[in-house]
Amino acid sequence: MGLEQFKNRNVGTQNYKMLDLGQSPETGMGKFKQVLDRTFKGELLVGLWVTMREMINALFKGQMHTVKYPFEKLPISPRYRAIHDMLRLLESGHYRCIGCGLCEKICISNCITMDTRYDENQRKEVSEYTINFGRCIFCGYCAEVCPELAIVHGPRYETASEQRASFSLFEDMLTPIDKLNLQQEYDGFGAVSPNADENIKKTPLAY
Amino acid sequence: MSAHNSMNTGKEISVTINGQEFKSTFGKTILEIAREHDIYVPTMCYLTKVQPIGSCRMCVVEVEGVEGMILSCQEKATDGAVITTDSDALFEERQSIMKLYNVNHPLECGVCDKSGECDLQNKTMEFNLEAQDFTARDQNRPVENWGHVSYDPALCIMCEKCVRVSTEITGDEALKIKFGGYGSTIVNTKKEKNYASLGEAAAVCPVGALVSTKFKYTANAWELTKIPSACPHCGGGCQMYYEVKQDRIYRVTNEFEFSTLCGAGRFGFDYANEGVTKDKEAFAKAVEAFNKADTVLLSNQTSNEEALILQKLKEKLGFKLVSPEARAYQKFMQAYGNITGKHLYGGTLKRISESKAVIIFGSRINDDAPAVKYHVNMASKWHQARVAYMHPIEDKEIQNIVTQFIKYEVGSEEGVAALLADTLLKETELPKAVRSFLDDLDIGYLSAETNVGEEELEALRKSLLKKSGFSLVVGSDLYAHPRAEQIAKLAALLEQYAGFNVVCVPPAGNAMGISLVCDLDDEAEGATVGYNMPADFTLSALGGGDLDMPAMNQQEGTLTTVDKRVVPMNAALPYGGYVLNDVANVLGMDAEYTIEYTKILPEEKGFEAIEFDALPDYFDSVGTEHRGYLLKARKVSVSRNFDEVEELEGYDGAVVYRCDPVEQFSAFTAKSSLLEDEAVLLGSQQFATATRLKDGDRITFAIDGVDFDRLFKIDTTMKGTIALNPTFDMGLSGALVSSYRFKRLDFERAGN
Repeated sequence: MGLEQFKNRNVGTQNYKMLDLGQSPETGMGKFKQVLDRTFKGELLVGLWVTMREMINALFKGQMHTVKYPFEKLPISPRYRAIHDMLRLLESGHYRCIGCGLCEKICISNCITMDTRYDENQRKEVSEYTINFGRCIFCGYCAEVCPELAIVHGPRYETASEQRASFSLFEDMLTPIDKLNLQQEYDGFGAVSPNADENIKKTPLAY
Repeated sequence: MSAHNSMNTGKEISVTINGQEFKSTFGKTILEIAREHDIYVPTMCYLTKVQPIGSCRMCVVEVEGVEGMILSCQEKATDGAVITTDSDALFEERQSIMKLYNVNHPLECGVCDKSGECDLQNKTMEFNLEAQDFTARDQNRPVENWGHVSYDPALCIMCEKCVRVSTEITGDEALKIKFGGYGSTIVNTKKEKNYASLGEAAAVCPVGALVSTKFKYTANAWELTKIPSACPHCGGGCQMYYEVKQDRIYRVTNEFEFSTLCGAGRFGFDYANEGVTKDKEAFAKAVEAFNKADTVLLSNQTSNEEALILQKLKEKLGFKLVSPEARAYQKFMQAYGNITGKHLYGGTLKRISESKAVIIFGSRINDDAPAVKYHVNMASKWHQARVAYMHPIEDKEIQNIVTQFIKYEVGSEEGVAALLADTLLKETELPKAVRSFLDDLDIGYLSAETNVGEEELEALRKSLLKKSGFSLVVGSDLYAHPRAEQIAKLAALLEQYAGFNVVCVPPAGNAMGISLVCDLDDEAEGATVGYNMPADFTLSALGGGDLDMPAMNQQEGTLTTVDKRVVPMNAALPYGGYVLNDVANVLGMDAEYTIEYTKILPEEKGFEAIEFDALPDYFDSVGTEHRGYLLKARKVSVSRNFDEVEELEGYDGAVVYRCDPVEQFSAFTAKSSLLEDEAVLLGSQQFATATRLKDGDRITFAIDGVDFDRLFKIDTTMKGTIALNPTFDMGLSGALVSSYRFKRLDFERAGN
């Protein structure tokens, strides 16, 4: 292959248009004339009008195209695996986690630690729950294995903070009780399949 | 094989299981033979250490020529039987059983403590139960808290294992079945008393119905690392696992299929000496203290290896080595050996459980050695053994197994031993010296002084007629008795000439190991160093001493058990400080680890030259114990001379008996948070009347120079004028355990 062929080896058939840029003036008089032409042609006003029009559309007609990050965020796919959320039961507001320990067991980077105890209501209570986000690889196994859909991957993808610890406590991940009505059901990894009801064989009842 | 099936004729038979021919002996059940040859037969209710229960019907097999399916756990194999343990029909049968077990079983595996090691869970998976076809109306069955254990009737599958263990093994007989079809439950008939022995019933529970209350919901089975070890509390050295997660012991479990653990072992595990760092200054002082020491005191909470280190240091530095309880036991066993010609007693726990009659002498056995009591209970339950309990105080707790209680006067043990020997050796051929000694006994005088009636002895003798297989259990009342050596010889006569299975229950801790390893002295003098004993310089595993030492669950080593077995202990928790071996190394010994001493334990005392890491620690599929090794009995010189029976010392008035509650043995069990026994002086109404004490009075008294400040409580189940005085709360104490367990009580009232 020759050098010429080599340089053009991936170049397809292109339809380049040559712009007619005209000639740049070379004499001092020519340059002066160009300045005068451009100044009094009114193009500035066209530009100002376009800006003004878009501003009015955005501010008064609701056609804003930018997202005011970090105050606004774009919706993210339910299958995205970001910082975990701990969900609550919608009816009672109690957290869903039953302390079964499966997430702790399945975690391949050993970043989940939990402690449980027997509480006053004869329930298993989670007394300590932390995720070490320095180790977490966001694989999603915990959400997949969770029998209660209690631990899920939330949309909080900004994993920068002064300390990693500020993500990792149970309370930090738990849906705030006053925002329970805003809690979204999780559709991602490990969620119930849409036809789950059809697949369940019901146990007979004696009454 | 298990004790209760040992009555086989020994005839060799051959059976065919799944097309393979096996040789075995007649008398074994089909299941036993199958397990012997590692053939899997699923069971739900079968527990090797008790008699077959037969409630689950999972173990059904087909036998050629027999119609229907038969229960392999109960049916003895006959010669030439052709057995199938696995067929489509059997699978279906077992699958149906599992479906019934799963009716209304709560779907709470997520939180259940048993999840991960649950028989029901495993078998449900094994038999591929994907759907439930059966149903029953559910009923309200609330959870019950019984103290150490909790019972959830909703999870219970009514396999009866717990009831059998409570009856046949631990003998507390607390658990019973309330029959009522689907409404059947287990009931605790002795709720008013918190039996720690129910921990064993919880251990055998195949589901999560019976669990340890304090453990409940704190950890999952799969998170815990099992560290095999041996229990160091009483001299039993029972097999146990520390279950550890993140440097904390969560619970203690055991090989419940074959061995048993008492409440102290199961619940008394959090006594570790934590947060210890290497204190160089204290260490240097310890070395100096050893160099200056005239006497080194050691407690029973010392492993064989540590005892050997101290013995070697003694040889090097020339100090005296003092351990009062072990010394008393050592002397007792020396005198015992003078008759039998062996340095160990001949009895084993297994033979106790196979006995047709058991005599317990000089020990409040239920409190002193639960492991031994369990074996006596097994004999009682499996062989309807006669159990004669000879003691100055009746024990309500073993009333259910004792067929004859023989009460004797405090202090008259020598006379009782002489009477016992005389009664049981009446028709036995004896060497002349022994015979003439027995013939010269003044039976009338002894009987009057000991308060043991001749008719009582006659009744005992008659009850043993036409029977064989007797056991004698002697305990620590006798070791510190002023006439211990004479008593030892009299007890030894029964082993030597009447074929008794004699077990001399060592005092709590590793007293037996120390007595074998160390050359002990009687009296302490001069500057003292104490290894877990209060002294001028104290090395303490409880903390608070001059130099910290690791507790028994923080170190490796071996223990010598009542079964004459040397068993390994492993470290369950980390320890950051100095150990005795470090001190010894500075003093001129050379061993990197303490366990390097395991292989040089004295062979002339029956130990074997085996490396610690080579010691086996398991039970095989038929339950044979492979833990450490058995001590070999060594020959010792024989001298069959007896002293005259001395004039007996009388104990009048109020007497206290040094005795800890059933799950307490030492300062280490006292430190365990799950065992919450109150240290009170416990006496009968009669004792209260005699001493003019009222329930709730506070008194002070001194025994062997140790001052007690005790609350007095009346126990209405007790009788007589002897009160029980515990010492487990008194810290590391040497003086306390150095003398005869009965003491006259001179007390003063403390300001109320």
